[in-house]
Amino acid sequence: MTAHTPKGLDDLPVEEPRWVGRRVRRREDAALLTGRTEFIDDLVLPGMLHCAILRSPFPHARITSVDTTAAAALPGVTAVVTGVDAQAWCNPTRTAPDGWGTFCLATDKVHYVGEPVAAVAATSRYLAEDAIELIEVDYEPLDAVADPFAAMQPGSDLVHEDKGTNVMLQRVFNWGDVDAAIGDALHVFTESFRWNRVGANPTETFGCVCEWDPMSLDLTVHGSIQSPSSFALGRASELGIASNKVNVKSHPHGGSFGGKGGARGATITCLLSRKAGGRPVKWTEDRTEYLTGGGSQAWDRHYEATLAVDADGRATALAVTLVDDLGATGEGFGAISAAKPLAAFTGPYTIPVARYDLTLVATNKLPASPFRGMGPPPHFFVLEQMMDIAARGLGIDPAEFRRRNFIQPEQFPYTIPSGNEYDSGSYEEVLDTALDLAGYEDLRKRQAEARADGRLVGVGVASAVEPGVFDWSAYAIVGMPQTGVPEGATVNIDIMGNVTVRVGFSMEGQGQYTLVSQLVADWFAVEMDAVRVVALDTQSAPPSFGPGGSRLGVAITGAVLGACERLTARMAAVAAGLLRADAGDVELHDGRFRVRGKPGAEMTVAQIAGTMLARSDLLPPDIDPRPEATYVWTAPDRTAADEEGRAKSYLTAAQAVHVVMVEIDAETGFVEILEYALADDCGTRLNPVVVEGQTEGSVAQGIGVALYEEYVYDSDAQPLTTTFMDYLLPTVNEVPPLQKGAVVTPSPFTPLGAKGCGEGAIHTTPAAVMCAVNDALAPLGVLAREVPAAPNRVWNLLRESKERS
Amino acid sequence: MSDSLHVQLTVNGTAREAHVEARTTLADLLREHLGLTGTHIGCEHGVCGVCTVLVDGRATRSCLMLAVQADGAEITTVEGLAEPGGLHPIQEAFAEEHGLQCGFCTPGFLLAIHELLEADPDPAEDTIRDVLGGQICRCTGYQSILRSVHAAAAKMRATRAADAHA
Repeated sequence: MTAHTPKGLDDLPVEEPRWVGRRVRRREDAALLTGRTEFIDDLVLPGMLHCAILRSPFPHARITSVDTTAAAALPGVTAVVTGVDAQAWCNPTRTAPDGWGTFCLATDKVHYVGEPVAAVAATSRYLAEDAIELIEVDYEPLDAVADPFAAMQPGSDLVHEDKGTNVMLQRVFNWGDVDAAIGDALHVFTESFRWNRVGANPTETFGCVCEWDPMSLDLTVHGSIQSPSSFALGRASELGIASNKVNVKSHPHGGSFGGKGGARGATITCLLSRKAGGRPVKWTEDRTEYLTGGGSQAWDRHYEATLAVDADGRATALAVTLVDDLGATGEGFGAISAAKPLAAFTGPYTIPVARYDLTLVATNKLPASPFRGMGPPPHFFVLEQMMDIAARGLGIDPAEFRRRNFIQPEQFPYTIPSGNEYDSGSYEEVLDTALDLAGYEDLRKRQAEARADGRLVGVGVASAVEPGVFDWSAYAIVGMPQTGVPEGATVNIDIMGNVTVRVGFSMEGQGQYTLVSQLVADWFAVEMDAVRVVALDTQSAPPSFGPGGSRLGVAITGAVLGACERLTARMAAVAAGLLRADAGDVELHDGRFRVRGKPGAEMTVAQIAGTMLARSDLLPPDIDPRPEATYVWTAPDRTAADEEGRAKSYLTAAQAVHVVMVEIDAETGFVEILEYALADDCGTRLNPVVVEGQTEGSVAQGIGVALYEEYVYDSDAQPLTTTFMDYLLPTVNEVPPLQKGAVVTPSPFTPLGAKGCGEGAIHTTPAAVMCAVNDALAPLGVLAREVPAAPNRVWNLLRESKERS
Repeated sequence: MSDSLHVQLTVNGTAREAHVEARTTLADLLREHLGLTGTHIGCEHGVCGVCTVLVDGRATRSCLMLAVQADGAEITTVEGLAEPGGLHPIQEAFAEEHGLQCGFCTPGFLLAIHELLEADPDPAEDTIRDVLGGQICRCTGYQSILRSVHAAAAKMRATRAADAHA
């Protein structure tokens, strides 16, 4: 059944919404601010043991022996597991592309530094860490595969000998006749770029408490888990147990950004629990484990791009070649990040044809994970540098060049060459809003004055599209099965008229419980405090995926409104019986069921709920007496991928323009951000406070990856960034004040017109910052091709320019 | 390793004691021995500031301090900022200004800001940035935290002014 959910705020059954669309304070905050929210590491269960994991110090080595005798003999140690146990009780991990997985504990060889080799459960974490130091592992080091281009050569050492190659996937997607368009173009620009590894780094690492009963094989996993239902299926697959024996309970967690990781460690913890007779075992990943062996790393990319432009300054073709270093296995689903650019390949522009030459390569580095945005942020870094290179080549202002190439409002819904459909937008309006906020002409004047003084000042203008509300069909090209992505909610009203909403995801920071409360409070015209939101475990919850792919705000809105609508229909039937009216004449308005045309014939929501719960004798026959309804929402009208990977995969397309001014220190190469203004359009803003918070946070992450953050490996694939002393997260001193503007073009496809906005600014920020850096460098005749634009890289460019002149 | 040492300290105004190993960190003492899990752990190497508590009034990384070093000290954790059921003005300001998202780093921020505002009721922006520079937040991008600090300072000044009048 499809619910006819409201398209706009005016369609809600109240005279005037009090909560939805307004600046609402979050209901999550009081518990978080007082330290009362139970994060996973706060959970203590009776008889609980603690896990510590021994990890490989080598990027590539054969294991010749593992001796756990001394560790097992240490008082307080209850269980020890190695690759032998993994082979006995597990399947290799599921991966994308398929077949590039390993067992959760290394068996014959290790494939990256940080790969788990053995693990211990003991009565304290301190003891468990003592014990893993007593495990003796003999390694026979092998040459490491560190460079993806060398890895592709015949005769290269192999990460997985049985595969016979390090190439996980190689395919060229042609969407239209790209060669002809490039051949016909007046201007053709080609450049290469490098995006180095970065990643999520939520302040809370992954944690879990696992209980696996050795007799019944029932498994319970408590954890800081972004997608509990997927996590449950993953454990059932890896541990070879029926899916209905796995119950996952996600705790509120300290951020995720797609890179919470934890699957491998959770599987190991499950094995320890089974070996310890089913006792609960806790594993809290420490920061160094996260940085070297967790869900921390994404986007290790080598790009070449070609942009063709006609005489009028219109881009006519885009060709992108990507060699993506996915690391040792496909278990982190980093490949999805290489597929997702299909959902927005040509950005906000009317580029009619495109090509994607995609190669996924295995090396002896940490398996790549998702990170906020999932893949388009590096793609847009490349596309926007190409737009600037073309604009400079043609002598057109970069803002004007973008304006000339924007999709126009009347062209929506608009299908891009790679198959996805954008719902709506007003891109020039967003551009003008951002330029006005920034004082663009003034920035250019300031830049000219600074240049006259010999300073390296640049202004970047960049635009990107944020695909929202994903469907798995977007990832068909890397072998993901095409299942739907559901989100469900159960709405229940008690005898006092208080409303409880049951959902399948936990708090992660985006204020979704507040959003649920806003929706229900406005639907039934109750106070926010009358609404309680409860997260259920995967065995009890309605079908749910949780946050991810800028989807949950839209999806949970659809679920909650759908459930409210069904519940209202049932209650209206009850009201009709009690008020002696036709059900078709009864409507809900401002918290009362009233009979059209019969003034005074009305009952409150609480009266109807109370009657249903306490006086079933008064109800119409055949009516379900529970004042409760469930609805499961999925993105409508998405299509499966065709042979070229083209699919209508994402439901919404938010868009943004960022304007950034930077100055480069000519002595040190250090980039300082002087001004930052942005405008975006993510449709209806259901809680503007939360939307702005997502934007501000995502800008900071974008600045981090553009200028500071990088996972560095040496030429033997040994990681050099293993603490926060080496992996540089932006602090308050690296993030400038932001000027923010909003344009609202409601989505015609979603409940209330909201578009996905959680991933947000990271789609645009790195591109915009790098456009500004390259604008600053342009007079010197050098181009920053590599992200992050760290001082050493920029300094080398400055030196290159000096040597040339 | 398991030789146990006796630690006595005052936590949030209450005398507490515990038997710990010499290697037990102050963070683990608070979380595991005293049940005060509002203090979170982010990196365990002193960079992120998530585990910040007040030791004798000074913001301190509880992951880098041993429990035995805190013997005799007065500790304030997030649980001690306000009376149960209430919020401290700094906490109120964070709620009003959306100064938190996931909330994991927040206790550390609150205590670092508490130390600042007790010493300087009207801090300059540079002073605030200097203090907050030791705390990492991955969610907010800091803009709302800066707004929260200004709002909290104003609230605390108003309270002080009212108290002075009373």
